[in-house]
Amino acid sequence: MTGAAKTLVENFERERKTLPGASGWLDVSRAKALAAFAEAGLPHRRVEEWKYTDLRRLLDDVSLTTAPDHLGPVDLPATAFEAMDCYKLVLVNGRFRADLSSLAKLPKGVELHPLANVLSEQWAKKLIDRQSDHDGATRIIDLNTALMRDGMALRIRKGVRLDKPLHLVFLAADDGGAHARHLVELEEGASATIFQSHLAAGASSYFVDQVSDIHLGADARLEMVRLVDEGAKSFHLSSLRAELEAGADFGCFTLTMGGQMQRQQSFVRFNGEGAVARVNGASALRGRQMADTFCHTDHAVPACASDTLYRTVLDGSATGTFQGKVVVQPDAQKTDGRQMTNALLLSREASMNAKPELEIYADDVQCAHGSTIGELNKDAIFYLRARGLNERDARRLLVTAFLDEALDRIAHDGARDALRAVVANWFSAEGAAT
Amino acid sequence: MVAIRETVQTVGEVEKYKYGFSTDIESDKAPLGLTEDTVRFISAKKNEPEWMLEWRLEAYRRWLTMEEPTWAKVEYPKIDFQDAYYYAAPKQTVAPKSLDEIDPKLLETYKKLGIPLIEQQMLAGIAVDAVFDSVSVVTTFKEKLKEVGVIFCPLSEAVRDHPDLVRKYLGSVVPTSDNFYATLNAAVFSEGSFVYIPEGVRCPMELSTYFRINERQTGQFERTLIIADKGSYVSYLEGCTAPQRDENQLHAAVVELVAHDDAEIKYSTVQNWYPGDEDGKGGIYNFVTKRGDCRGVNSKISWTQVETGSAITWKYPSCILRGDNSRGEFYSIAISNGHQQVDSGTKMIHLGKNTSSRIISKGISAGKSSNTYRGLVGVHRKAENVRNFTQCDSLLIGSHCSAHTVPYIESKNPGAILEHEATTSKISDEQLFYCRQRGMDEEEAVALIVNGFCRDVLQQLPMEFAVEAQKLVGISLEGSVG
Repeated sequence: MTGAAKTLVENFERERKTLPGASGWLDVSRAKALAAFAEAGLPHRRVEEWKYTDLRRLLDDVSLTTAPDHLGPVDLPATAFEAMDCYKLVLVNGRFRADLSSLAKLPKGVELHPLANVLSEQWAKKLIDRQSDHDGATRIIDLNTALMRDGMALRIRKGVRLDKPLHLVFLAADDGGAHARHLVELEEGASATIFQSHLAAGASSYFVDQVSDIHLGADARLEMVRLVDEGAKSFHLSSLRAELEAGADFGCFTLTMGGQMQRQQSFVRFNGEGAVARVNGASALRGRQMADTFCHTDHAVPACASDTLYRTVLDGSATGTFQGKVVVQPDAQKTDGRQMTNALLLSREASMNAKPELEIYADDVQCAHGSTIGELNKDAIFYLRARGLNERDARRLLVTAFLDEALDRIAHDGARDALRAVVANWFSAEGAAT
Repeated sequence: MVAIRETVQTVGEVEKYKYGFSTDIESDKAPLGLTEDTVRFISAKKNEPEWMLEWRLEAYRRWLTMEEPTWAKVEYPKIDFQDAYYYAAPKQTVAPKSLDEIDPKLLETYKKLGIPLIEQQMLAGIAVDAVFDSVSVVTTFKEKLKEVGVIFCPLSEAVRDHPDLVRKYLGSVVPTSDNFYATLNAAVFSEGSFVYIPEGVRCPMELSTYFRINERQTGQFERTLIIADKGSYVSYLEGCTAPQRDENQLHAAVVELVAHDDAEIKYSTVQNWYPGDEDGKGGIYNFVTKRGDCRGVNSKISWTQVETGSAITWKYPSCILRGDNSRGEFYSIAISNGHQQVDSGTKMIHLGKNTSSRIISKGISAGKSSNTYRGLVGVHRKAENVRNFTQCDSLLIGSHCSAHTVPYIESKNPGAILEHEATTSKISDEQLFYCRQRGMDEEEAVALIVNGFCRDVLQQLPMEFAVEAQKLVGISLEGSVG
């Protein structure tokens, strides 16, 4: 076992007794998960799904000892979603802070709790214990199962609509590791919008490991908009597992900006016919940033549609990676699967890797994927310069337009505008840096 | 339209695998299994010089330390490498001096395969090297080629007659340590073709090798080496068949191409090894390493393949685009039916400036087969102005087959423009209806539509092969409808 994996295993041994659910079923699950993790170790380049991100090596660079429970005041940084009226749930170092959250007046039929409060409930157990195929990509979830300390648990009863978006703020205030688990259960016909912000608030060297377990009942609707803007010396690892029943509609958009290294995985599985999943994202990276997106869609039943678009802009010596996989199981006829990834390389040292995969076992399907990597079109820059824009503005305009096409896929108007502003700021930061 | 009509005709006429017969001919075999002695035996049989034996032994020793690759999307029982013959040659006491001295049974075999070896009967303009199990039976038009300085002969002959060239180039594109099967090949390769086109020569005819596995329980390990010197051009064709048997036979070949400045190599394959029966019993395991090195500026290497046979295909013809302005092309049709498994694709490694590559892959899967495209487009940091276009289309026929696409795209240079697109679909009911309405039966209609689907690639084949390939497309899909 490498140093990083060892530290994580030691964390568990030290904290086992104090982790939530220590006396119940979860303790057994945790021990099992840790044993599996200890056996497999951290994923590395020879694990196909981690070909471009060597966790074994990269995690050596950040502090992994569990971050302390931060009780004192926190400088709440302004978040992109601030202007909107939202319910707010704040986690600091991966632990719920009631004093910073505002969860009053939730509609009837909406249950929103910190994770620890629901661990005795059956629905939570069902979500956590859900077995996904234990392959190279999902195996790392074991680490979270073993060490998760807190998180958000949201359950919405049949037919209930969450009247305002829920804003989940994830702050890193101290160095170290934070392992959070979020559970979302939308019963039949329920609907919700969730914003997520990941920000650094004082921590410098840290590791965020979060897993979201989502289940959408028939015709339920969930819209997620996530902003990942971690601190300079961090590793952000997030895995999202969503299962969709018939007619459910799942939208997820992730904008990745700050943070030294990130790996974001999503696993969407269709359980019922007629469901739709839109998993999209954009990232703008510079310096020595690295972002690896792994996007897995499993069409297990007929007549579902999935659509994915990821756009990446890379400056400095940043490295971007997109790995996608659309699986169409036998008999999943009438599937419509689309996947597109585009990357713009703005500097000589930047690099991009893409691996959009299709795995198809049914014949009556429409599946397509595409991938492009290139630089800004010189003719387009020339066109703009001929119209009086200087080189920098011309490039900025083109890059913004490139990212905008992805941002356009955010269904929530307010959130879309908010993230557009974040992208605009990215360019100002460029000005400051040079 | 003639070709289409012919396709339709052949679909109706031809039996499932018409090359499935075997020739009853006495043969000379190496002892069963693979040891250092087998390697020595093969080398001795070929009268090889000491350095060649050393080269083989080094590869053999390395092979012992290597593990079989398992990353491809194919499944097969573990191969017992000790349960095969690594050398088999039709018995012939004296080497034939002319065609008249060749065993008539052999000539008959090739005639049945549609490869007449009597020069007068041949399609003008094609020189053939016919390889039967582990030896080359005959190479035609050798003299005529010699006049322009082109060397076209079995590799074993080249080792003896042109040792300098062989030593310089053998293993320079696919090193002996490259991968498990390439290393195995380096240790036990028995035959193959050697081609050298001198500077400025445009090879006056198509060169072709025809591979035939005949003997039971043997593997075929051929090694082809083609060198196109400055400013030269060559078009090379390769065809393969094997008898119908219920055992799996291993075919692990290596092909190395070297293109110097301004040279062009066009390499076409029509692979039609025995694919196994309807229950997936028997068939050839086709584990092949093919790689071309565009060593010089403005060089070009183009791979065209029609893959219809083999129980399992594991094959990635690649181009290393080292020279500035060099170009690599890959055109592929991979058809799988029954229980066939195909994992094939290409690698384009862009190292030089202004290099470009084009990948067109058409995968057609029917029956219970699985068909995977696996490709890599890599752009080195110093490779300026790289251009790549990749298109992978899959067609599924029937609901028990599968099609997969696994492209790797890695760019380290912002000036590179890389495009990849892939689609998967089935033959639409409208298309079928339209054809049926015009009096075709369903199988004919499918053959027609599939031929249309593959047209981009079929067009790249030399004319003589294109007709053959078009027929093959129809035949391979036989029984896939209904």
